[in-house]
Amino acid sequence: MNHMIKHGIKRFSGYSSIFLALCAMAASESSLAADEAKSKAQPVAATPVVTPPGQTRIARETSFPKLVSGKWSGPRLPDGQPDISGLWSNTIGNHSNLEDPQAGVIYEARKKPLGPREERAPSRISDPQDGKFPFQPWAKEKVEQFRIGFHNPTNPGHVEPNARCAPGGVPKSFYWHGYDILQYPGYVLFVFDNGSRIIHLDNKPHLPSKLKLWNGDSRGHWEGNTLVVDVSNHNGKALFGRSGEFVSENATIKEKYIFSDDGKRFNYEGTFDDPTIYTRPFTITIPAIKYTEAEDSDGWNLEARWAKTKTSAKYLEHDERICFENNGGFGLGATDTPQVLVK
Amino acid sequence: MPLRMQSGQRVKEIATLLSFMVLAFFLPVDHVFAHDAKIPRGADKKPDFSGIWETTSSADEDLEPHIARADASSGVGVVEGGEIPYLPQALEQRKKNFENRFTADPRLRGATLGVPRGIYYREPIQLFQRPRDITIVHQFGHSVRTIHTNNTEHPDDPNDWWLGDSRGHWEGDTLVVDVKHFNDKTWLDRSGNFHSDALHVVERWKLADANTIEYKATIEDKNVFSRPWNITVYLHRHPEKNFQLIEDYRHTLEYEQHYPPKPDTK
Repeated sequence: MNHMIKHGIKRFSGYSSIFLALCAMAASESSLAADEAKSKAQPVAATPVVTPPGQTRIARETSFPKLVSGKWSGPRLPDGQPDISGLWSNTIGNHSNLEDPQAGVIYEARKKPLGPREERAPSRISDPQDGKFPFQPWAKEKVEQFRIGFHNPTNPGHVEPNARCAPGGVPKSFYWHGYDILQYPGYVLFVFDNGSRIIHLDNKPHLPSKLKLWNGDSRGHWEGNTLVVDVSNHNGKALFGRSGEFVSENATIKEKYIFSDDGKRFNYEGTFDDPTIYTRPFTITIPAIKYTEAEDSDGWNLEARWAKTKTSAKYLEHDERICFENNGGFGLGATDTPQVLVK
Repeated sequence: MPLRMQSGQRVKEIATLLSFMVLAFFLPVDHVFAHDAKIPRGADKKPDFSGIWETTSSADEDLEPHIARADASSGVGVVEGGEIPYLPQALEQRKKNFENRFTADPRLRGATLGVPRGIYYREPIQLFQRPRDITIVHQFGHSVRTIHTNNTEHPDDPNDWWLGDSRGHWEGDTLVVDVKHFNDKTWLDRSGNFHSDALHVVERWKLADANTIEYKATIEDKNVFSRPWNITVYLHRHPEKNFQLIEDYRHTLEYEQHYPPKPDTK
């Protein structure tokens, strides 16, 4: 990934020895990004997952508060939207494993056995209650093939598309790297490391249904503290993570972003209904936390840095988000980027 | 005109003269106000560039004057003075680029177009503006560029970026943006006009009217050009009802057919 290379070499090279030392000490599942690093067939040596001394970094939560839709009593923007702009990140783990987010990649050898399930964060599946994706048998089999193939791909579909810089899609973009939420009259804009989403708040009609998109086509509105988004035109190509779950292009997706009144957290609740793949609808819940001035870059969840100013004003800003342009394939079967697509 | 006038007549004449003077004094000011009121402004009274814009020029086909060819229309170009002042060796490279344009243009990989090319590429761009910055989402490649307008400065430890580092300030109603710290991987158009990582662009963004942006850029690169040179391009607001950007991640075309999994065919 370009940001790993970029930050790893340019910004964090001084920390590589610290990284190696801490790597030996850290339990493999104790770092948000360690799963990420060790699963790379072509890893960058100094993966920037270490918080430099003196800096704080986001805790890896094993539980998180339930947030309820209701009134918003926090600050508002001039256009009336709750002001929730800023740099945000997931809090419990990355995209390795959705049903057991802190257990690492499925079928990956572990250095030490996992403890009891209740010591780790709950499944991202909040409905059904058992925390399992309600797959139809054929789809479950496909996901199983992916989980095995992921470690030694025997067909191109075993490569997680995000590993080739495809957009993370819905909902995975919210549990990968940190991201920006920006707000404007009529819009909420999500800027992820791979891809962006423009949420239209003006209730314009969706794009023609034959247009299928990695991030879909989003229409939203605010209900008190909750951003309610309807996603259509979804192409189903962005897998949910390294555990291989997916929806088809026939899925309907309803999202709720429920913000806490202090503006420091939100819980994403996405309800997916896809009779092509599943036996019933299911809901994915993703807790998120907003960065404040107290935090500093950890190179993964918060990759921003302080802007250079002549005044005491402090601004966090993010490097340009570029991915495939800077990369060849980086392992797990991904090939080099295409040289010429059209003539 | 009579040599002697009645006093009433004289008063009338003076009054008329005075009213003309008053009018003459206020007219141009009035005119400026009237013109000014036509452009959208934000709460901070700065011109508001928010919206979806696209050029109708053929700048991306060739910045210089060009006659129709298989892959381009005719156009007088957008370079002030007509020609780009290449250094001799760089001109040779430009000719090679032109010959190889069907395979060497970074656009063909779906790569981020860079600055200023992304602005005059013939696909819509959406500008999102707030006091601290302007975010540009390019439909092509869905690249996202930030122009910082909060008195911050270029970083001390820059990378070489595809889009450079953009710091803007206001000069009256013109947004002046200083862009540097580029890599050398983007082109300036599909004719092979190019730059090195020493590229320095100064953009001048101005609303000519509510629905037109006058975009000027000064392009400087000591490794490639003998002197700085200027371009002017106009961007038009998309007038279509419910117009929106459509994501474009064409770099995924090579492998996207492998997803999502489908039932085995019996």
